[in-house]
Amino acid sequence: MADTASTKGGFGAWLLDPKRRGALLVTPAILILFVMNIFPLLWSFGLSFFNYKASSQRVPRFKGLDNYGDVLTDEKVWERFQTTAIIVSSSVLLQLIVGFLLALLFAKAFPMRRIVLMLVLTPMMLSFVSVGVFFKLFYEPTFGVVSYVLNMFTSEPFVMLGSPQGAIIGIVIADAWMWSPFVMLLVLAGLVSVPKYLYEAAEIDRASKWRTFRTITFPYIKSLLLLAVLFRTIETFKLFDIVYIITEGGPGSSTETIAVYLYRTAFQFFKTSQSSALAYFVLFIVIVLTNLYLYSVNRRAEEVN
Amino acid sequence: MKRINLMSTLMGVTILGAGLSGSPAMSADVTITMAAPDWPPTRFMKEHFDQTYTSPDGHTTTLDMDFIPWPSFYERVAASLTSGEQKYQMIVTDSQWLGAFVEGGYYMNLTDKINQDPELTAIMQDLHPALVSAYSTYPHRTRAQLEEAGEVPAPGVNYYGFPQFPDTYVTFYREDIFCNEGEMAAFQEQYGTNLPCSYEDWQDTDWTKWGQIGEFFQRDAGEMLAGEELTEPFYGIAYQAGKGYDFSTMQVNAFIWQQGGDIWDESKAPEAQAEGVVNSDVSVAAFDEYLSYLQYMPPVAQTGQMDIFVIQDLYMQGKVGAIIDWVGLGEPVLDPSASTVHDKSAFGPAPGTRQADGSIDRTGNIGGQPFVLTTWNSDEVVNEALNVVKWWLNPETQLAAVANGGQSGLMSVMAMPEYNDLRPWNRAHVEMIDWQKDVWHIPEFFEMLTQQQEEFDKAITGQQSAKEALDNVAAFQQELLEDIGFIE
Repeated sequence: MADTASTKGGFGAWLLDPKRRGALLVTPAILILFVMNIFPLLWSFGLSFFNYKASSQRVPRFKGLDNYGDVLTDEKVWERFQTTAIIVSSSVLLQLIVGFLLALLFAKAFPMRRIVLMLVLTPMMLSFVSVGVFFKLFYEPTFGVVSYVLNMFTSEPFVMLGSPQGAIIGIVIADAWMWSPFVMLLVLAGLVSVPKYLYEAAEIDRASKWRTFRTITFPYIKSLLLLAVLFRTIETFKLFDIVYIITEGGPGSSTETIAVYLYRTAFQFFKTSQSSALAYFVLFIVIVLTNLYLYSVNRRAEEVN
Repeated sequence: MKRINLMSTLMGVTILGAGLSGSPAMSADVTITMAAPDWPPTRFMKEHFDQTYTSPDGHTTTLDMDFIPWPSFYERVAASLTSGEQKYQMIVTDSQWLGAFVEGGYYMNLTDKINQDPELTAIMQDLHPALVSAYSTYPHRTRAQLEEAGEVPAPGVNYYGFPQFPDTYVTFYREDIFCNEGEMAAFQEQYGTNLPCSYEDWQDTDWTKWGQIGEFFQRDAGEMLAGEELTEPFYGIAYQAGKGYDFSTMQVNAFIWQQGGDIWDESKAPEAQAEGVVNSDVSVAAFDEYLSYLQYMPPVAQTGQMDIFVIQDLYMQGKVGAIIDWVGLGEPVLDPSASTVHDKSAFGPAPGTRQADGSIDRTGNIGGQPFVLTTWNSDEVVNEALNVVKWWLNPETQLAAVANGGQSGLMSVMAMPEYNDLRPWNRAHVEMIDWQKDVWHIPEFFEMLTQQQEEFDKAITGQQSAKEALDNVAAFQQELLEDIGFIE
């Protein structure tokens, strides 16, 4: 018995040795990460070199880089990238403008500021599906609130999603409504970090509002704005839920983003290998954007230091 | 010891005897997990099963229905099958999925079982041939091909499914306005023909009159409708024109078939072509006619989002006079808690294309779903699942299902005198089922369907003409089907 106890104690002590404690603590997380992320990532990377279809139990055949070639030469893929670029640039720009204006508003004290701030933050806490359904109903031309209001002035039902341009605007508004508060939070953090004495000095020097903003406020929020742009670009680049619910990519394929197309290829057409290749292509773009994001985060950290 | 030995001997004999006779003492608990769309026909099946089912083999059988919402039904079933989790023993499936999942090795070929079991053979013989063709055969065999064989089951044909809910589309209409004397007189005066009021009137309604109804009842707020002032715009007609899933193809196909056009015919592969057939002049004219009536429909038609649920909803809100929709969506229309027109609705056959001899062709695209068995089931589960099939397709169960918003595919049940009175749309359903054909069943159906829906959607939303849409569909299908060897 004494031997067993000493062995147990010995192993326990060996395991909990301060030299190993760190590794022991991170092992579960690494295991989960490997099983849930890294293994599927490697597996799908392997699949992208075969002609595998998940709907079929046939033995996959090796195709080398053919799937990557097919993806890069597929006109539809480039069309979807164009659509994604239009939605991303419009949505992020709108989020910046609205978020910035909201931040300027909330940087000042006014009655019920906290309550209004909480309400303004609500959209980003909602699920994508709820937001998609809300906006789909808002845009409904027969009984939707947008058409109802405009109908008072035009006496015609307003068919927002009936044209490619209208549908893109509809998606951009929904996405911007949801995420402008996020941009506002970042910008607000920058605004409140500006030392008040700088504004007082500017006032004494009779600096104009524009000059005060350009020389005092903007340098403080510049890197945070860049962070917001990059973060929202990465997220909007993967936009799926809102598009799928509001327009299903229509009219035609005019609002089909690359994420929706990827989903169709993988789970409706079951071109598993080809969709894996496309997913890696998308991943590459996201990694580039993420590196830019990390670079700007680091720069912000250096500036703060 | 002697006594113990005697007891052991007696127990051994009892167990052996029970085994030989196959008595209930040896029967096991069987759980059949079935993937099912979440709607009344499957909810009723579960409820009725729990109340009435007794296993003829003496099993204690549980039917564990996995109710999945319609919008994600295909994805959830497909994900389960392809992940290899082997969760389901039975699946309610759209007929179009047969090819993908038979070729994938997931759906069980039931041909031998049907041939060996007289009860199943009798069921197949009693099922409407349009349903057997659409719901059961893969590679797909048309009704004509099956009837040509002269026997059921037909030799050389593989059978996979049985009808869980055979669906057709019919006309839902507002009796209070279509039978209003003032409206009827005004319609007669304007178009020189009658406004359909009775079931018989709808039997004589073609697409031309459908368009006239749309034009006649399109009214703004402030105008009168059946003696009452409207507080919001009203529309006469609506049918499916949605981008999602098959929410325009099902209606467009009806126009194409009725006018003598065709889709790519998989039963004639590899000779059948897509180019020149899909985009023939007849098909283009038919699609053009489909598009021409959209102007009279609620403005959501211009967004390409007017799917089967949207038109049902608009009808139940009292915003549309008549819609063409699936029988399976009829029950909520009669529910006072969900529908403002629950006491004003009547049902008739869907309009069709008038032929040279004056008759009306109502060929339509079949709806509804068969259920199938999966390939990984043990013999015991397969036999019990087939017992469930026999129970469901028993006339008594079928009548109960029909009385609760379901439908039957058994010709003997549809011929029963009380059948038409069980639900208000039954007469129309029986009339429509004889006109049904189905879209493709090959594994690539979703790719074809998605591309076609996109092209149709562009035409519906006015971005391209009917000809451009069908030319694009034909070119895509020709290339795809040549690549995979379905067209030589």
